[in-house]
Amino acid sequence: MTETPLAQAPSTARRAMTRLTSNTTLVNVIGLLGAIILLYVYLSYSATGFLNLSNQLGLLRQAALVGVAATGMTLVIIAGEIDVSVGPAVALSSVIVAESVRNWGLPTIAAIVITLIVATAWGALAGVLRARFRVPSFIATLGLWSILRGIGQFWTNAIPVPLPDNDPIMNVLAGSIFGVPTPAWGMIIIFLVIAFVARKTSYGRSVFAIGGNAAAARLAGIGVARVRIILFATMGFLAAISGIFLAARLGSGNAGAADGLEFDVIAAVVIGGTAMSGGRGSLIGTFLGVIFITLIGNGLVLLGVNSFLQNVIRGAIIVAAVLLNVTLSRRRSSQSED
Amino acid sequence: MVTTTDAAGREVIAQAVAVTRKYPGVTALDSVNFEIHAGEVRALLGQNGAGKSTLIRLLSGVDVPTSGTILVGGRDLGTDGVRGAAERGVATCYQELSLVAELTVAENFFLGRWPKGRFGIDSSAMIDKARETLDRLGSDIDPALEAGALTLAQQQIVEIARALRDEPKLLILDEPTSALARAEVALVLDTVRKVAATGVAVIYVSHRMDEIRQIAESATIMRNGKVIDTVKVGESDTATIIRLMLGTDPNAQNVVNPTREFGEVMLEVKGLSVLPKVSDVSLIARAGEIVGIAGLLGSGRSELLRAIAGFDRIDGGTVIIDGVEQTRTTAKRMRKAGIGLTPEDRKREGVLLNLGIDENIVMSDFASVSRGGILSSTRIRRSAQDLAKRFQIKAHDLGEPIETLSGGNQQKAVIARWIHAGARVLLLDEPTRGVDVEAKGQIYAIMRAVADQGKTVIFVSSEVEELPLACDRVLVLRDGSIQREFAAPDINLSELLEASMASHV
Repeated sequence: MTETPLAQAPSTARRAMTRLTSNTTLVNVIGLLGAIILLYVYLSYSATGFLNLSNQLGLLRQAALVGVAATGMTLVIIAGEIDVSVGPAVALSSVIVAESVRNWGLPTIAAIVITLIVATAWGALAGVLRARFRVPSFIATLGLWSILRGIGQFWTNAIPVPLPDNDPIMNVLAGSIFGVPTPAWGMIIIFLVIAFVARKTSYGRSVFAIGGNAAAARLAGIGVARVRIILFATMGFLAAISGIFLAARLGSGNAGAADGLEFDVIAAVVIGGTAMSGGRGSLIGTFLGVIFITLIGNGLVLLGVNSFLQNVIRGAIIVAAVLLNVTLSRRRSSQSED
Repeated sequence: MVTTTDAAGREVIAQAVAVTRKYPGVTALDSVNFEIHAGEVRALLGQNGAGKSTLIRLLSGVDVPTSGTILVGGRDLGTDGVRGAAERGVATCYQELSLVAELTVAENFFLGRWPKGRFGIDSSAMIDKARETLDRLGSDIDPALEAGALTLAQQQIVEIARALRDEPKLLILDEPTSALARAEVALVLDTVRKVAATGVAVIYVSHRMDEIRQIAESATIMRNGKVIDTVKVGESDTATIIRLMLGTDPNAQNVVNPTREFGEVMLEVKGLSVLPKVSDVSLIARAGEIVGIAGLLGSGRSELLRAIAGFDRIDGGTVIIDGVEQTRTTAKRMRKAGIGLTPEDRKREGVLLNLGIDENIVMSDFASVSRGGILSSTRIRRSAQDLAKRFQIKAHDLGEPIETLSGGNQQKAVIARWIHAGARVLLLDEPTRGVDVEAKGQIYAIMRAVADQGKTVIFVSSEVEELPLACDRVLVLRDGSIQREFAAPDINLSELLEASMASHV
């Protein structure tokens, strides 16, 4: 019997095409790289001081603030969840580290460790609410957003908590290593670690599996609840790292800092090609998304655009970028979904 | 009593001892005893809601019994869950495909148990092992492809291959062939035989008697949460088995009356092409007529219906409804012209699971149940009740979410939706898929009643056996074009099958 099932005999060429065009990451990365190069060319001609070393280093610092949290957010969104508490979490972390050094007289290292632990704990709490009590993550983290901001402002009366001068550790965190700002190193290391975790560990693949088909993941014996809790705990941890870098850079803990950071972080992830519906996304895309967002922010300032208008333009560019992304990936997918 | 071997001295692999499972309001399993031995292929038969799925869920650790014990390999499963069952050697292949579309075939293969190398997950080992297992099943699916890029049939094969990955002692297959074409069914049955020959126990759930006869030695028949009997398949005829499933004598099957008079031509399709699946299809269907379309998966059936209903773009040809040529076939226009399509994938495209039964019925036309632009609950109730009664939809309360209904009743509601919209031509894509024997009969009766009111029904089915029971005429679709036509009462099953499978034999 020489049976060739009809539905199962696509030509090798077609198969190769499918594989190539289904590589949404590749298409996305190339598009973003192109956009970033264009932005660089445009800004270096029209924005004075854009190519200055100090501006470029400042860009890296700003990128780090968005980028550190964006790594974790990429996994959160791939898993089909969302975390909107990033801004207040970063701000409160900066307050905790400053308070514990200044008012509790703890050594800097201990202050940092405590900050990381506390932030991880509140992240885990949001995760437990999502995983065990089925509170939608948007709501759980929206609550956290309000609570964390409120705690920070109540605690400090919304007044910055100064760090002592000449703290050697804080100086390193605020400074540069081999000429590159320390937070940028931090961001790069975290990107590499999380990218490895995403592609090469059971935990990372479980995140993709849960975002793609949570029921299938559960039937395959994946600990869905555990993964979800770890996801949000990681977000807390990363927010603390950003908060510590921020405190070091500002020389103080500030409960009002990082206002609206969560939107830059989410925008960077989505521009990077991660699907809000879950199951699909990449860290390299997010990295480029972070650079893209940061460049636009920096460019608008250097071009002297009215600061209120900056928000309008930034918003429009972000939506346009995502629209382009969605349109491209819809054309690539063989079946129309509506 | 706990036995460890059967009469032939084969080891007992899995056992349910006096197992009861209650859900709020229903007893899904009622003190069920069940056992299966090494190397045995056991068919599990019963109508939807008989308790087959619950029994499977308990054996595979997805659910725990309210009382009673599940023993796998002689050990109590307790609350050890999916992993506990897997460790004891149970592998399950569920009816709903459980692949993650965004992951590759290889990653799906090792879902949750990815092989680790020195630097994290070992992708190449994963791909090699997946390819090896697929090879053993005689499949050439590329393990590096994303699962979402595969056809339904290929996905099913991947699932079965995955279930065999850890060399299970008990393999549970829940309707593994319901989405497969003939050639692939043979492949699956062949595989099951090979697996059983190595001493693995297989529980095989299916509605298709011919498959069961080919592979199972015995069949356990369930009804209303109880095990009714376990019979030797070779010694029981189909009528006996169906009688056990139904609890009553199966009604004498309605023979289609060939002297029926039909009205005007309602639907005419001329040279229709939808590339690449459908090419140059022409057909005519009259008022009062049920026209069946036979064809294997991938023959272009669904594409043809979707194009007629205006969901897919037409690449050539015309559609004429009640004498009016449709120039622009958009879904909205075709609906207005009187076309109603019930899709193949009921769960995903047919019903809105969390909405009420009534709302699922009237959603095709809200205007007729509104007063001054505002939905009227009395009108909704009246319309829904009227249709539910005509279509024998069994529900306590039409306001309940439709997911509380069995598959057959859900399907009736979807058909009712288009009657509510006043459709004159009903396109039914696999309306009886995954539906129990009794509901199938009811769906045929509904089709006939609708046709007798002067409507036209196009009935697509991949179960060839049911076409002669329901249709006045049957067209055979193969490779995107119509190969043969049969008219009642001369619809010959073997000729029908031959015509639809010719390219495979």
